[in-house]
Amino acid sequence: MKLPVICSEKECCCGKKECTPGKGLPKIILIGNPNVGKSSLFNALSGSYTLVSNYPGTSVEITHGKARIGEREYEIIDTPGMYSLLPVSEEERVSQLLLFEEKASVYLHVIDARNLRRMLSFTLQLLEAELPLILVLNMMDEAEERGIEINISELSRSLGIPVIGTVSSEGKGIEELKAAISEFTLENNAQKFRQKMDYGSKIEPYIEAVEGLLEPSEEAEISTGISRRAISLLMHQEDRTAFEYLRRAEKTPGYWDERHEKNSEEIRKLVKAASKISEVPLSYLFTLKRQEHVNGIVEQVMEMPERSENKSSENAGKIRAEDDTGKNGSKIQSINLAFPEKIDSILIHPVLGIPALFLILYFGLYLFVGVFAAGTVVDYLENTVFGGYINPFVTAKFISLVPYPALQDLFVGEYGIFTQAVTYAIALILPIVGAFFLVFSIIEDTGYLPRLGLLLDSMFKKIGLSGRAVIPMVLGFGCSTMATMVTRTLETKRERLIANILLALAIPCSAQLGIILSILSRNPESLLIWSVVILLEFVLIGFLASRVLPGEAPTFILEMPPLRKPKLSNILVKTYSRMHWYFLEVLPLFVLASVLIWIGRLTGLFAFALKIIEYPTVWIGLPPDAADVFLFGFFRRDFGAAGLYGMHDSGLLTGVQLVVAAITLTLFMPCIAQFMMTIKERGFKTALAISGFIFPFAFLTGFIVNTILKALGVSL
Amino acid sequence: MVTGNSHLSMKTITLCAMETRKTGKIDRLETKNPGILQKLMAMGILPGMPITLLRKSPSYLFEVDQTRYAVDREIANHIYVSC
Ligand SMILES: Nc1nc2c(ncn2[C@@H]2O[C@H](COP(=O)(O)OP(=O)(O)O)[C@@H](O)[C@H]2O)c(=O)[nH]1
Ligand SMILES: [Mg+2]
Repeated sequence: MKLPVICSEKECCCGKKECTPGKGLPKIILIGNPNVGKSSLFNALSGSYTLVSNYPGTSVEITHGKARIGEREYEIIDTPGMYSLLPVSEEERVSQLLLFEEKASVYLHVIDARNLRRMLSFTLQLLEAELPLILVLNMMDEAEERGIEINISELSRSLGIPVIGTVSSEGKGIEELKAAISEFTLENNAQKFRQKMDYGSKIEPYIEAVEGLLEPSEEAEISTGISRRAISLLMHQEDRTAFEYLRRAEKTPGYWDERHEKNSEEIRKLVKAASKISEVPLSYLFTLKRQEHVNGIVEQVMEMPERSENKSSENAGKIRAEDDTGKNGSKIQSINLAFPEKIDSILIHPVLGIPALFLILYFGLYLFVGVFAAGTVVDYLENTVFGGYINPFVTAKFISLVPYPALQDLFVGEYGIFTQAVTYAIALILPIVGAFFLVFSIIEDTGYLPRLGLLLDSMFKKIGLSGRAVIPMVLGFGCSTMATMVTRTLETKRERLIANILLALAIPCSAQLGIILSILSRNPESLLIWSVVILLEFVLIGFLASRVLPGEAPTFILEMPPLRKPKLSNILVKTYSRMHWYFLEVLPLFVLASVLIWIGRLTGLFAFALKIIEYPTVWIGLPPDAADVFLFGFFRRDFGAAGLYGMHDSGLLTGVQLVVAAITLTLFMPCIAQFMMTIKERGFKTALAISGFIFPFAFLTGFIVNTILKALGVSL
Repeated sequence: MVTGNSHLSMKTITLCAMETRKTGKIDRLETKNPGILQKLMAMGILPGMPITLLRKSPSYLFEVDQTRYAVDREIANHIYVSC
């Protein structure tokens, strides 16, 4: 599911899950490469909050917000990062489609100032598309740190559009940007936004011919914000969306009048012919031509410090420090860069990287989430605050006020809405999820995740995934549903499917993981058995899936953002926003479960369902009473884990039974929301097949583990 | 195949064959997979750009212009560098 945009104005989306403030207002669309600070800028402009993290692929969906700039209100739209107008991965396509379908008053192309040379090419594409554009040079602070100087007014002159420098994470330059937006929309696009790029005499005639043929008749219904020249260029690069546009044009009566009925046929012919006469694929030709143009501009406007030839990752900072001693003040800055370099080289070191990972897991996950939050805090909340004070008080009050046993049962009974659903959600799930997301946000904001991807790539290849898949996998520990959506950033269908299966099967989500850590941490051997079994399962199923599923092996390309110091404010807001979302996600389901159980108990269906689940429960060596844990687990596996916590508290299970139950539950499908997301991303059949595989398989694994532990005579 | 200005006086090797900490210029990208090529180009890994190899293991890490990229051996084999 989608994280809520946290609005400063409460009235716009109170209680609703999807928040689309500002519908119908003039639009501002943010575009740019991944990880350049679009979402930070969105937050700074709109006063709302959408996720900001230090890795490419944080935003995989479009986010809407509302902004007041000058006298006017705007709808402001944040998009997933895209590298060029021609998309390669799915989340880029989301943004491309938006550009085709929406017409905004202003487009902000956000780039990372340091990487002007690399990103300006996309600016040129957007200008070719004739979008009303403002160029935002974000991360000016990092550019300065590296001694890069950019002549902004010169750049603005040579592009013919406003250019504004910002540091969006600090709010610097935002006022200037707002002023530019106001002025820009007032001018009402008086100037033509056009950078005429020449792609060479051989190919230009084809581009122009297609452009001409695309011209619709006067009263054509469909339209797009993108120029016909840009569409023509995209067609010559065999872009799906551009051809989709053509198909729509064909189907739209009156797009062309009768005289031009043959246009679309003609276009296809031209595109084929153009690709024949060019020795290189046209997308490369276009890219290189644009880059030439960019290099010309960059030479005029950007100055970089001289760089040392033999630079290594370890002493890059040092070398620069020596080089720069002549310049005032830059020495200190260069040394500042040397320290992150050191840490960086440890984090991605083939040998040292592994202990570094375990240290992070041990302190962040085990000690803070498992022992402190899921142990100490939950213990206190569950047993003292709720168990000792709140629940007895509420129960007594309720019983004295409402004299009907059936209703008493619904609200304050054993499975009651208050005594079970609300208590679980607040006393158990919330602290664990909060602690987890806190640690997680810190890790995300430093930029560790792409480094982990680099570190684990070769291992992930064995299970049919690339290092890029590390990001959704790690996100899965937070919430499987979010992570399932992030599988969009993976390149091939096969990789997305394998990642999806593994997420649904072997990656426990934060709440469940926290509970299991806390239950099992009292006995390190249990924890070890649990971890080993889950890890084996992950590797085994990944390995088998990569053998069975057709398709090419994945490849790995990932941009490595610099290590950044996390900002406290971002961490807190992000943690809060995720907790908020998680709570709204689980509470209704927990309440629903209470109600269903209540109905089930009144009608006898509950007992019936329990009877059925008793079979596999007993089969894997658990007492029949444990059946309700698994019944809960069908709703959500963290709900099942919460049930397990209850059973464990009352000392109903032996050590071996506890491990077996924990393993089985971990392997369950995460929750209904994740199932729905799988349907959305992979289709209904696949989703059904995945869950049809997972439940029996979870019990089978439980059975095998129980049998082995019994046979070995292990007692925990 | 995409070629930039070829430097006849220099040798051209793949990124895999390059020594770490050395800087060269991207000469060309060679791959049959249009998706990979498209991605590399869109990310700014283009012929003519200076490139510095930083690491070969656990995966390839290099710097083009101001950005670092991690790639696997497969991809590194498609990037030809003259140095
Ligand atoms: N130093 C610096 N960091 C920034 C700036 N803007 C954003 N960031 C950081 O860059 C990372 C990516 O930002 P985000 O807004 O998620 O980028 P997006 O992927 O384009 O939406 C985050 O860690 C931000 O804190 C900036 O102007 N300066
Ligand atoms: Mg974003």
